[in-house]
Amino acid sequence: MSDTTLDYRRPIPHITRSSLAASPSLVRWSLRIVTVLIFAAATAFGVSVGMGAPETSPTSLVQQNTAPMNP
Amino acid sequence: MRLLRLTATTIVLLVWLGAALAVLQSFITAEPPIRFGASLVAHVTGMAAGYGAAVMLILMSRSPWLERGIGTHRLARWHGWGGLLVIMLTVVHALAAVQVWSQAASIRLPAALRDLLNIPGLTTALVGTVILTLVGLASLRVVRRHISYERWHFLHLLTYLAVAFGFAHQLAGADFAGRQWLQIAWSLLYMYAFALVLRWRVLQPLFQLWRHRLRVEEIRQESPDVVSVLMSGHHLDELRAEPGQFFRWRFLTTTTWASAYPFSLSAAPTCNRLRITVKARGAGTKRIFSIPVGTLVFAEGPYGVLTSRRRRRPRVLLIAGGVGITPMRALFEVIDLPGKDVTLVYRASCEQDLVFKDELDEIAEKSGARIVYLVGPSTETANDMSAPALNRIVGDLHDHDVYLCASPRLAARVRASLMDRGFPRHQLHEERFSF
Repeated sequence: MSDTTLDYRRPIPHITRSSLAASPSLVRWSLRIVTVLIFAAATAFGVSVGMGAPETSPTSLVQQNTAPMNP
Repeated sequence: MRLLRLTATTIVLLVWLGAALAVLQSFITAEPPIRFGASLVAHVTGMAAGYGAAVMLILMSRSPWLERGIGTHRLARWHGWGGLLVIMLTVVHALAAVQVWSQAASIRLPAALRDLLNIPGLTTALVGTVILTLVGLASLRVVRRHISYERWHFLHLLTYLAVAFGFAHQLAGADFAGRQWLQIAWSLLYMYAFALVLRWRVLQPLFQLWRHRLRVEEIRQESPDVVSVLMSGHHLDELRAEPGQFFRWRFLTTTTWASAYPFSLSAAPTCNRLRITVKARGAGTKRIFSIPVGTLVFAEGPYGVLTSRRRRRPRVLLIAGGVGITPMRALFEVIDLPGKDVTLVYRASCEQDLVFKDELDEIAEKSGARIVYLVGPSTETANDMSAPALNRIVGDLHDHDVYLCASPRLAARVRASLMDRGFPRHQLHEERFSF
């Protein structure tokens, strides 16, 4: 079987141009900002998930209803 | 080297400190008097496994500070035994938890398992455990030999799913429930681990694809089972790739896009060209031989610490075995020492397997460096690669930095011989990868 490339046959011109034209310092700073944003989002999401976590373990709830012993 | 040791040591200490705190938490939540039994085992192994899973994600996130500070092969080694430990802890945790439930409810084990699976989050946790166990089994050397790299890689990617499945169960576990600050801290640990993976394993290669638009320019046959892939792109100097380093390459064709292969640069990178050299080892690598010119390339990297920056001694010995010549060829081109004291020992089983011979001879002629070809059966005395034999070739071996890249068996033999003869460990530089 012959192999074929997965390619954008008609590249979007402005995306193509911007990838070549952007200066190295602009690219570097953009990546730094993206990194900060990712970690800011991870912090917000992590805190939100942690705060929304159950106050009682489902295992202990079920345990109380089914058996007197607490493992 | 001092910095490297400090970095690796610091990270190891931090990892163990975190593990100790995680295990301590399970003792804190245990109701006094603390007795050793299935309950304590379930709590301790559960906390340790949960913590270990997050650490494994971080270690394999390809973060540059980890890759450059510790080195890929050391990270892979830590991941190898650390991953196995996490899987074992997870399995022990699951078995101990079923046992505890069975005792507490005075029911048989199958009934206890059924009960547990009705609890929210535990079915997904079980699925995660099954996936982790399968990955662990597939990674055992005896099984791994019979699985293609592509299948193994795909199975390995499922561990992200397994870890995510386990996370919900952990937050609701008895060790965390009701302790909100702990739940937030644990949640942040996992979110940061996934953020690192997203940043360095997903976004970075996508960005590199957009910025550099790397494409296959030529496939050049070097020998019947070896080809070089020449790629061209833009702004490649921004990658800061160095000879001796490697990338994980994903060629975007209908048959190869799903696999990422680690290959070293086989020539010093330029601002618009990169070259790798590939030996056919299986169906996957063989497919690379017929990649159409113009194919887009998704490259993760550069990785690895096998660079000329590691050099500490005034003389250098490069040791290459078979296709291990690829990073050595690139290093040989750029290592420029006063007095030209660079020796390349290149081992191949037959003349036909000597790739780059013309290029190497040309570099040696220009730079004044020396090449020693060891061709033929390894049983021949002339092809001996023990420390005394290498010492005879270069003279005063201890005054050299040794760079080594060869098949796992040959590399292990050379390494063991060097260590037996008291060769300083920090003067031996190697990058190990095997499919």
